[in-house]
Amino acid sequence: MTDNPIERAATATPPRLARRIKGLSDRAIAWIFVAPTIFLLLAVNIFPLIWTINLSFTNFRANRPNREVDYVGLRNYERILTDSDIWLTMQATAHFLFWTIFFQVLIGFTLAWLINRKFKGNDLWTTIIVLPMMLSPAVVGNFWTFLYQPQIGLFNYVVSFFTGVDPSSFEMIGSVNLAPWSIVIVDTWMWTPFVMLICLAGLRSIPDYIYEAAAIDRASRWRQFWTITVPMVLPFLMLAVLFRGIENFKMFDLVVQLTGGGPGSVTELTSINLKREAFEKWRTGYASAYAIILFVTVFGLASVYVKALNKVKER
Amino acid sequence: MAEVILNNVSKAFGQDTALDGVSMTIPDGAFVVLLGPTGAGKTTTLRLISGLEKPDTGDILIGGRSVVNDTPAQRDVAMVFQQYSLYPHLTVHENLAFPLKSPILRTPEDEIARKVAEVAEVLQISHKLNNKATELSGGEMQRVSIGRALVRDPSIYLMDEPLSSLDAKLRSDLRVELKRIQAGLGATLLYVTHDQIEAMTMATHVGVLDQGRLVQFGTPREIYENPVSLYVASRLGLPRINTLPVALFGDAPAGAATIGLRPEHIAQGQGRDSTVTRVEHLGDQTRLHLSLEQHDIVTLTDVHTTLRPGDTVAIAPRNPLYFDTNGTRIA
Repeated sequence: MTDNPIERAATATPPRLARRIKGLSDRAIAWIFVAPTIFLLLAVNIFPLIWTINLSFTNFRANRPNREVDYVGLRNYERILTDSDIWLTMQATAHFLFWTIFFQVLIGFTLAWLINRKFKGNDLWTTIIVLPMMLSPAVVGNFWTFLYQPQIGLFNYVVSFFTGVDPSSFEMIGSVNLAPWSIVIVDTWMWTPFVMLICLAGLRSIPDYIYEAAAIDRASRWRQFWTITVPMVLPFLMLAVLFRGIENFKMFDLVVQLTGGGPGSVTELTSINLKREAFEKWRTGYASAYAIILFVTVFGLASVYVKALNKVKER
Repeated sequence: MAEVILNNVSKAFGQDTALDGVSMTIPDGAFVVLLGPTGAGKTTTLRLISGLEKPDTGDILIGGRSVVNDTPAQRDVAMVFQQYSLYPHLTVHENLAFPLKSPILRTPEDEIARKVAEVAEVLQISHKLNNKATELSGGEMQRVSIGRALVRDPSIYLMDEPLSSLDAKLRSDLRVELKRIQAGLGATLLYVTHDQIEAMTMATHVGVLDQGRLVQFGTPREIYENPVSLYVASRLGLPRINTLPVALFGDAPAGAATIGLRPEHIAQGQGRDSTVTRVEHLGDQTRLHLSLEQHDIVTLTDVHTTLRPGDTVAIAPRNPLYFDTNGTRIA
């Protein structure tokens, strides 16, 4: 008998199994352990990706599986990139992405900065602020349609209370000019808390004694903010922007519930547009090409961004 | 550089009294060491002078001006914290230059570079100037934070156990170096430590704190030779002062309860017989551990002594200190 755990494990292995794995190298055993994960990754990630690339060169339609499939070369890509409607959805997405991130970073950081001053009840405030994030996006999209309702909606009422404009004189969802902003407002309402939490984590990671040292070194509040707070929170902030950027690039549920892409198609973001092509018009080959274009775009942007993020972290 | 005066200063944190009516004058150009165990109020004193804390009562004067309502920046003090309070995202050079870039100073760039290089030279960190603060060892970080104080020319330097995290060799080097810098600049320096060698070698004045009260303030020699209480007497001296019941040797002033004998205050070859329990050869000195009626006594003896455990030595007090039952010195 021995107390060595490795030897104990060896003696506990059934003889038949022991015989079978005896000849295996460490490398082979390592492969056995990793294999299930690799298999799963191949099955649900890599294979569908390759299959989608394949489909993107065809005129396949998933609702007509028996029809003969022709390879059409790069025609799908050509049609997408020259389609002015698709460029409009891209513009709508860019508008949505830019302004949601802009407002969420601005408001989120400010809230975090305020919450971080140690005042009474700041835990309660944090909980209250974080509430919207815990709701389902579909529910949020749905009840904001009521808040935006011109006659009975709370939103229109609040705006009219502060500006004196007649509440029924404007429709956030119905108007071509206002609808793109209506989705920005709701997403900001829902996800600013997320940015705030990450910024708060960043702010809390700065020890008090650094500010004390800076005060002794006669750095003004303003200089402390720009030379200590901002550089030390920046990696956290960039991470929040990355998460929000990726999330909002594929934004679907909230906007579908809120505006359904309308009026016309001014709030039809690319993911909504793509879903229509794929599962309403059943242009599977075309939609595959569309998906690949989006994939390359997001992947390219994200890798550039992550590189920048790492550089900031190393500083 | 300026004189700093504490006038009956008190400070409490909730229920805990950190400082209790402390009055102290730190003369211009003095090197004052505060001694005391953890929780005696040493760090609180530094933080009150720096302006990081406000006193509950009492007044603090720097250069004759009351500063209790001033910000740390207005007080113009430099402080070395006990933990390495460096700016982690900045390089060593940027950390050292940080206080000089204060808009109050408007130091020209070449002047900043010259001062930083000078201080880095003294603290032996010149080769690390371009490293990030996080890429340094503990000792290097502490040297940078000392350097960040030394680049300035403040009214007073405040240092909170700056050498405690360094290794022995560097500590003794920097001890000498700090004293030299302080004397050279004529700087006023308030220094917290519980290392008695630092107190004895660097200080022009020593203040002893006990539970928020300043119990004695004087030159290191005064504190050592003329302590006001048993508490103060046991702050300085290594090996520590022997405290024995007064009846052991007799012939004591009235009211004395304890006799305090520093190791060098024990005469050998006369008086009462004690047993040698241990002999420690330290090279430059030899410590003799004795036992007299179950009381342990430590004294010094000849470096080349032939005494061995079990031997008998006669001892008698020489210039003893007498304390009453409260530990107050009476003779």
